[in-house]
Amino acid sequence: MRNSINYLVTVASVLLPLVLAQTAAGATLTVCKTCALTSVKQAVQQAKPGDTVLVNGGVYQESRIEVNKPLTLIGKNNPVIDGNFTGQLIAVTADDVTIQGLTLKNVATSYTRDDAAIRVFQRSNIKLLDNTILKTYFGIYLQNSDNIVIRGNNIIGENKGRTESSLGNAIHLYYTDNVEITDNNVQGHRDGIYLEVVKNSQVRNNVSHQNMRYGMHFMFSDGNTYTHNTFRNNGAGVAVMYTNNVRMEYNTFEENWGAASYGLLLKDISNSVIHHNTFRRNTTAIHMESSSQLDIKSNDFERNGWAIKLMTTCIEDTFRLNNFTGNSFDVSTNGSIQENHFEHNYWDKYTGYDLDKDQQGDVPYRPVSLYSMLVERVPPSVMFMRSFMVDLLDSIEKVLPSFIPDQLIDEQPLMRRIDHQAV
Amino acid sequence: MKRILSRTYGWVVPAILFLTACSTEPKPVPYGNANCTHCNMTITDVRYGAELVNDKGKPSFFDAVECLAAYVNSNPEEAQKASFLMVTDFSNPTELLKVNDAHFVRSAALPSPMGMNLLAVSTEEAAKKIQQEQGAELLTWEQVLAIVKNDEKLH
Repeated sequence: MRNSINYLVTVASVLLPLVLAQTAAGATLTVCKTCALTSVKQAVQQAKPGDTVLVNGGVYQESRIEVNKPLTLIGKNNPVIDGNFTGQLIAVTADDVTIQGLTLKNVATSYTRDDAAIRVFQRSNIKLLDNTILKTYFGIYLQNSDNIVIRGNNIIGENKGRTESSLGNAIHLYYTDNVEITDNNVQGHRDGIYLEVVKNSQVRNNVSHQNMRYGMHFMFSDGNTYTHNTFRNNGAGVAVMYTNNVRMEYNTFEENWGAASYGLLLKDISNSVIHHNTFRRNTTAIHMESSSQLDIKSNDFERNGWAIKLMTTCIEDTFRLNNFTGNSFDVSTNGSIQENHFEHNYWDKYTGYDLDKDQQGDVPYRPVSLYSMLVERVPPSVMFMRSFMVDLLDSIEKVLPSFIPDQLIDEQPLMRRIDHQAV
Repeated sequence: MKRILSRTYGWVVPAILFLTACSTEPKPVPYGNANCTHCNMTITDVRYGAELVNDKGKPSFFDAVECLAAYVNSNPEEAQKASFLMVTDFSNPTELLKVNDAHFVRSAALPSPMGMNLLAVSTEEAAKKIQQEQGAELLTWEQVLAIVKNDEKLH
């Protein structure tokens, strides 16, 4: 008996504030085809700050909805707002706005305005959750805002027969801080996720694929973390540029094929961490330029054309405990490399021995082959790949190294592939 | 007669091909198919592409005015010898303009691909129009080079 009273008191004390919060949050205005309110725009205009606008199932032919007060805009039973290519769909011009569960579609390409399904300008505390956005120029576009959550959205562009120039980005952030971008699916746009001058943000668990240019593009955006994302089959992969202090962990970069394509492009990146990622079947897994003090550890490089292209402008980068398997070239460079450090990686091309059985090869491994340097300088020579002459060339160079950069060496290569799952 | 003609003038076609092959002309920027020579990004935004054609007629493409300017700043000899330095007319993106004929505009309201908010138009009127509508600063190519050199960003 005592127990059940205790239980009731606990339940009441938990529920009561919730009920109160509900009333404090204001009234709920329902929009449906047979309700007093039949348009979302109308409902948003009539709502008072703090109200909830509940949009019921159906297709609403509307555009240019301005959310100019703190509101919760929620869709129930899959309502669709169809802009019919007549302009931007929702512009948020107030703080504390939540938009959830809507399907937004049909925004036309414009070369003068960056029209989006949801556009936010100079606002904070905005939540965009579980929306479906189809056939728009830009999907979600935020500018000069902060404290943003973008979660569970499905943004699908129509890119058949179109060029990069006529496509916008699925998620586009410009001068926006403290953003959480999680569990989104973005495809068919120019860039899947575009971040320019975005600080202290998290990009987690997203899938970005079949975008015409980059799966993700990241410029001047310090102090961000991106983990557990999949970037697949995008025009040129992922580009991370002019940024310090980035963490990239547990991401998968795969199937980025093409002459100018790569899994990950690093340009002017410093003090950053690249751990536990998988690079599978990319033309170039990582292309590094002017990047310094990167810690590249415990990644898997599988079946890429080039696993790493390390340009001479890179310094003080460390490569440890990575697996290099089935790549045509493990490391290639365009000159003599200084002060980059390779240790304890597994290279499937390593042919050394381990007499003392300490799991480390007794002779060093040089991941840059003479032939890879030749290809770097004379690209057409790639057609001699796997020919007898090339094998001979590489073997001679291995025995008597004279052209390949002597700094670039793994003194203690591992004998066995590292199982990153087990660690 | 026909045969004589073709014999006499048969060399004309190859000669024209040969001459055009060697002429130094700016080429249209191959949007979506080329990487910027300076920043290595795929060039996509048709309003902002730029180009340097060297003394031998080989073009290098850029995704933004600021990338061309940064390249010129870091490769002064090559820029000096270049046959053409071209930027896209923002108001008419199929046109390329010589940098010395172009009017440059810097407006916080118009973000350019590499973060410097720079664009080019063909006439002073067009530049002033943007200035009135969006608020902007009008610049010459020399001023653009200086701004990019000092990395002076708006915001």
